[in-house]
Amino acid sequence: MYSVENKDERLIWIRFLKGDNEVLSLIYLQHSNSLFDYGCRFTSDRDLVKDCIQEVFCTLIRTRDHLTETDNIRLYLLKSLKRKIVRELNNAGRQPKLISDEEYPFDLRWAENLDAQLDEHDEEKRLQVAKAMQSLTDRQKEAIYLRFNRGLEYEEISFILNLNYQSSRALIHRAIEKLREIIHVPEKKINQILFSILCGERESVF
Amino acid sequence: MEKYRDYTAVDFLNDESFLRWLTNPTQTEDDFWNEFLKSYPYKKAEIREATHVFNIFHSHEEKMGMNETYEIWSRIQKEAKTSKRWKLLKFVKYAAILVLVFFSGSVTYYMYQRTEKQYQFQLAGTPQISKDEAMIVLSDGSQVSLEKQMSQISYSKNGRQLIVNNDTINQKSGTEKEMINKVIIPYGKKSMIVLSDGTRVWLNAGSQLIYPSVFTNKTRQVMLVGEAFFDVTKNPGRPFIVRTTDVSVHVLGTRFDISAYPEDKLVQTVLEKGKVNLNYAGNGILNRDYVVEMVPNQMVILNKSTGEAKSQMVDVSKYVSWKEGMLEFEKVDLIRALKQVERFYNVKIYLADPLIGSYKLSGKLDLKDEPEKVLNVIKLTVPIDWKKKSNGDFILIKK
Repeated sequence: MYSVENKDERLIWIRFLKGDNEVLSLIYLQHSNSLFDYGCRFTSDRDLVKDCIQEVFCTLIRTRDHLTETDNIRLYLLKSLKRKIVRELNNAGRQPKLISDEEYPFDLRWAENLDAQLDEHDEEKRLQVAKAMQSLTDRQKEAIYLRFNRGLEYEEISFILNLNYQSSRALIHRAIEKLREIIHVPEKKINQILFSILCGERESVF
Repeated sequence: MEKYRDYTAVDFLNDESFLRWLTNPTQTEDDFWNEFLKSYPYKKAEIREATHVFNIFHSHEEKMGMNETYEIWSRIQKEAKTSKRWKLLKFVKYAAILVLVFFSGSVTYYMYQRTEKQYQFQLAGTPQISKDEAMIVLSDGSQVSLEKQMSQISYSKNGRQLIVNNDTINQKSGTEKEMINKVIIPYGKKSMIVLSDGTRVWLNAGSQLIYPSVFTNKTRQVMLVGEAFFDVTKNPGRPFIVRTTDVSVHVLGTRFDISAYPEDKLVQTVLEKGKVNLNYAGNGILNRDYVVEMVPNQMVILNKSTGEAKSQMVDVSKYVSWKEGMLEFEKVDLIRALKQVERFYNVKIYLADPLIGSYKLSGKLDLKDEPEKVLNVIKLTVPIDWKKKSNGDFILIKK
């Protein structure tokens, strides 16, 4: 589907599909931490996340025959984990109201990060960015997370969010429109950058 | 590289290669972007800006502890096994209806054998050998550092208590799951471990051994990265299996040496006493596993990239003398001998001329001496000389 993985990763995947189970441990070790982090954004229940990671790999073994060499292993694992966690959250009644496919929570955990990034006297900037971030929907937060923490391409993000390429661009675009209303400080370069990253546009805004 | 000349911070953040460099860089990306910064220094400001924005978005990551990582892994293995058996039962049910009873019986047996073998994965994939600290990692993730050059570790029968260099440590008892322990020995150090079944393991420099503190399964399994000499306590009911990334050795009770360093092209197994089965995956079209039944004094060398195995009879003492602080060679490539010296002393030895590496070396090296003295001994047998750089690295030159 996509071709972002390096050659070794592809070889490992092919070996696994051919029935070589020894390489599954490599796949597991390579992805377990990023899967765990992704899972922890949906829920604070670490044990639930761990159970779901286990399930993801068990499913991987069971459904091996239906997978193909061109599958993107990282995307497969991320999406499979997300599906399982959302289902668990629904089933176990851990969530007071039923959450639909589009309305599950997502924690970007940007606040602690912002503290480290901005100077103390940048209070104004901090407030603006914080406000802008708060106005994002959970799906927009997830898109940002997948882009900057997991390093996924736009096409891959739309795959995980179950949207076609245009819709996912549109989703991100709406986020920017919203942000524009809140932060309106054109001379602040940082905000402009923020907009255009979310737009995914190449042209310069300066 | 040209195309990035007029990039702004935004453009950089939209570039896949740049983003990969910030999130998950490979050597290629690292080289490329460092080179780019050198060639276009005026882009530094834009790149700094892009990195700053990236850092605001890139939030702190939640990580699993090592014991959690292992715990989930062992659960995956267990689940994989049971689900397969369940499917098998269903299969057998239908088979029994359709086929003669004794016939389905043999199918079951065959399938069962396969399952057993298929789902014994190993988790020794990523060696993280720290540069200088030897340690033992207990099942709860706590680390005990091993300060001595040659550490001794021994387990009580129930695995709960272990003695590390004369200090006694009690491990919290995990009643159900196996307590996985791990010993990490960096270059320049060694260790001797007595496992709960009495098996003794000499772990060579730059190696790791992963094992349960007590063996609860039908087989006694350990995982090895690097080199170790095993003196396995005999227990016919419970075979002992040493797994490395490329080979696994199945034994009942015996003495043998495995050298499987990730950076080496070859995996070497030498049998001193008893009988072992060496298993390795074939590379051919059939992709089937190979089994070599080894006899005492036999050495099997597997080439990891070609999947070819070579066998020969050897003087075992030469291959296991490292545990007594000696290295013995008989017509060994100098490059291979130097690798062992490097690991033992935790030094770097470079060859000014790569051809030097193919000189054949024979003789004994006493590793109690300084590395300089060892190199002087090597100098007597092959036409080389050596220099020491200011950073402690050695360079060998042709004489």
